[in-house]
Amino acid sequence: MGGLQKKKYERGSATNYITRNKARKKLQLSLADFRRLCILKGIYPHEPKHKKKVNKGSTAPRTFYLFKDIRFLLHEPIVRKFREYKVFVRKLRKAYGKAEWTGVERLRDNKPGYKLDHIIKERYPTFIDALRDIDDALSMCFLFSTFARTGKCHVQTITLCRRLTVEWMNYVVTSRSLRKVFLSIKGIYYQAEVLGQLITWLVPYQFAHDHPTDVDYRVMATFTEMYTTLFGFINFRLYQTLNLVYPPKVTQYLDLTSVCKLNLASLARVVATAEEEENQLDLFPTEGEDQENMQAREKEQKEQEAQKRLFEGLKFFLNREVPRESLAFILRCFGAEVSWDKSLCIGGTYEVTDETITHQIVDRPDMDKQYINRYYIQPQWVFDSVNAQMRLPVEDYFLGTTLPPHLSPFVEEKDGDYVPPEKLKLMALQRGEKPVQEDEEEEDEEEEEEDDDEEEDDDVDDEELTEEKNLKKLEGTRAQGKTLAVKVTPGKVKPWETGSVGNKVRLEQEEKAEEKRLAIMMMKKKEKYLYDKIMFGKKRTTREVSSLRCAPAKPTRPSLRPFACRWR
Amino acid sequence: MMAAVKRLKRVAALQPGFISFKSSAESDDLNSGRRKRVNKNKKKNWNKHSDIQDVEEFLDDVRLQERATGGLISEKPDDSLFFVDIGEQKKSVRPEVQERKKGKKSKSRPLRIDLILQHDSLVPPPKDVLAYQQPNAKKLRRIAENAEKLAAMGVLPRRQKRLLNRRPATKTSKAKTAANNFPDRPYYDLWGGEAKETADPYYLEQTGKRRVKRPEKLNAKPSILPAVEVIAPGGSYNPDFFSHQALLLEAHEVEVKRERAELRLERQLAVKREDTATEETVFQELVEGLVEEEEEEQEEEEDVSIRGGLQQEKKTEKERKRERADKIKSQQKQAARVFTDKKQQLFQLRSIQATLKRREQRTRERVAQRKANQEAEKSMPRRLGKLKFQAQDLEIQLSDEIPGSLRTLRPEGSVLKDRFKSMQKRNMIEPRERAKFKRRLKVKYVEKRAFREIT
Repeated sequence: MGGLQKKKYERGSATNYITRNKARKKLQLSLADFRRLCILKGIYPHEPKHKKKVNKGSTAPRTFYLFKDIRFLLHEPIVRKFREYKVFVRKLRKAYGKAEWTGVERLRDNKPGYKLDHIIKERYPTFIDALRDIDDALSMCFLFSTFARTGKCHVQTITLCRRLTVEWMNYVVTSRSLRKVFLSIKGIYYQAEVLGQLITWLVPYQFAHDHPTDVDYRVMATFTEMYTTLFGFINFRLYQTLNLVYPPKVTQYLDLTSVCKLNLASLARVVATAEEEENQLDLFPTEGEDQENMQAREKEQKEQEAQKRLFEGLKFFLNREVPRESLAFILRCFGAEVSWDKSLCIGGTYEVTDETITHQIVDRPDMDKQYINRYYIQPQWVFDSVNAQMRLPVEDYFLGTTLPPHLSPFVEEKDGDYVPPEKLKLMALQRGEKPVQEDEEEEDEEEEEEDDDEEEDDDVDDEELTEEKNLKKLEGTRAQGKTLAVKVTPGKVKPWETGSVGNKVRLEQEEKAEEKRLAIMMMKKKEKYLYDKIMFGKKRTTREVSSLRCAPAKPTRPSLRPFACRWR
Repeated sequence: MMAAVKRLKRVAALQPGFISFKSSAESDDLNSGRRKRVNKNKKKNWNKHSDIQDVEEFLDDVRLQERATGGLISEKPDDSLFFVDIGEQKKSVRPEVQERKKGKKSKSRPLRIDLILQHDSLVPPPKDVLAYQQPNAKKLRRIAENAEKLAAMGVLPRRQKRLLNRRPATKTSKAKTAANNFPDRPYYDLWGGEAKETADPYYLEQTGKRRVKRPEKLNAKPSILPAVEVIAPGGSYNPDFFSHQALLLEAHEVEVKRERAELRLERQLAVKREDTATEETVFQELVEGLVEEEEEEQEEEEDVSIRGGLQQEKKTEKERKRERADKIKSQQKQAARVFTDKKQQLFQLRSIQATLKRREQRTRERVAQRKANQEAEKSMPRRLGKLKFQAQDLEIQLSDEIPGSLRTLRPEGSVLKDRFKSMQKRNMIEPRERAKFKRRLKVKYVEKRAFREIT
């Protein structure tokens, strides 16, 4: 055949991809080194759309990388360091074999090392990019800091991770950015808002866990190496924004046994070298902005500020059996003073016998010696309060009582979805609290009972919810000091009976409903048909939900479902 | 050259004071094992391979004796070597001594020089004058004094001056790049500094000092999934009843699916009930080929086929004509039918439209389905290598395992595994299995002699 014919697999997608082994040979690295390099530089394998074309006719499963990525890797200075390290290992082994101890020492002194700073700068050119990716880094560092120091992975890495996590926790405490906590069976999920970014991370429990065998430790160690570098730089920058000195001065003992204790000490006594400034919203009179929006934002800001001082002024004491680190972190985040038994760990500032302690967190069924002027509560109160953004009534969390379920704050229910009754109670509490800002801790039990009754009777419908709201407000204002003579029945509340605030709200809602009705009337037939279908579906779900809630006997917690099978 | 070196080594090793690295026993062993057979008839080999160690020792010994004690010890009289110890000398011996004193220079008295040369005499050996003689002592002394004077003044000798003038070896104290995971490693403001490119960009590029720009595609995240996925509300340590049931249901579905897959496999591999051997089939198999009736049947079949063939040959012309006419007729009929169909289609417009609508709807549905599948695929883990991604089991605690309090909680699942799987799910690493231990050479198992004798 002629010379300049087109041959197969010479252009197009076949030349854009390269297999892993070919890439490795091109870079002249071993497989482990190649994987490490890819992880450090953030180069991931790709799955091509047409595998047969790329694989030159065969469908064997292979790992493909983009050719341009590998070409970019060739310019990386770290590649040279890997090769030097390989040579170093070889020389060291020879020296050991020949028993040349001076040679060994000399080689060890000149061990080649590499730095990852330029890679981090290249991957995350701005600080906000790095902040977006910090979730992974946080989870990995927290995970590694809980490892036992057996030597499976470098002890230095574990120490470094510990230090970084403590610094991060210090930052969150100082900036009061924690928003949500969730205790799950896997670990504790936290969510904080830092510089406008919502950051979620997972912290495993402190109990010893056996390590699974099918996890590649080398890969995880490489990831951690990269993440610790990134994390350190982010910490530095964050501390800068708060005008704090980095690295923070921590009262510490440096021997290994008390390294874990170092963290709690730092949480108890943070040495901030600058005052914490209170942020006040500057009133920028922007053109075209409604007065309402500004007011709404101010309100939000005030709420946030109030939330940040959730536990301010309270003094807590943690008993021996509660998870100290987590609770200390959360309580400090919201302005409380925390302490624990001195014999457990360094950093406990005051003892059990201190009279000014307001709450003591205990997890036992009962306590023998009880002081009068303090509450003995179970730890779930703290977490639930944080999620509810208010101090919940302490009675539900006393020692020995069955706790209410711990709801997940990461779930957002849409209209018509099933809302657990506890959450409804919470929402009611939150709403009932709003007009009454002074008494945050005193709640009538009567009110809660009546709320329950009402919820079970009504259907979960938008308009009726508002009626409930109004009712509860009414009751809230009435039950402040007076006794409730008559039992309130559900029904339409006339506008002039409620307060002015309720009136406005109700008017708004009425207007909205009117507009909705008008819009529905103006729809075309086809659109109306679709709308009916949608509403039918929604109504069906709400019906199901309400049938669930009105289920006759709500079973108590330890129940056995027939199909709860045990799997491997 | 090698031979010469070896010879020297051996000769040196044979010298009496030589201490070799290896112990003497070992060296003997080696030598005895490796002794080469040498031809001692040549003059060259007399010196090399003859061992005169014993003769040399003897002669040395003789020399030593003559030097130390003046003559061979074996030839000396007994009196000079030993004496009988009879205690203190008595006075009866005196007359002998007095007699002796008359002739001071009598032969029985040993010579003074002999006494001095005894090994226990206190006379020191004379000074060796030659050892103290230096022919140019004065000159050397003068030079040393001059050097001292110059050094006192501060003038350095030429050699030292040259040494000092030599450029000092720039001790490139290599900044010991501390390891990356050094616990107290310092951090700085990475994003705050200004751009470092001060020189001409072309120059930097040509000399290889410029950092290559990272391609834009690499900044895209490999998956749209979030880094940390929060567990469903049923996974709380103290869950709400219904959410926990929902989670249990999910896990149950997964289990059911798995079981069904297993059953499906079993069903596919199972034997059909019809294929199992019944008594009839067994009997037929045993009896096959034994019965004679079958031959007649075969003959009948052949006749029928022959007759058919003969008839065909006779009427082929007619057949062909008929076929042609039939064909034309059927063609005409078809054309007429098509024509009437077309006409009638006008009246079938409504139903045609209905079918078209249905078809279009089906295609639209399929398009929507395909789009939904594509979207779902984006959140699924991609197939990046030999192994498929294995999702981990849902972490869940059964109703009787749910703890009442935080203290009695037993954590479920491992966060390490969760993170690992999450990275695989987000297409950051490919799923791999542990590398097997492959041997280059096969292992051969041999029974010990003792065991072989037993069995």
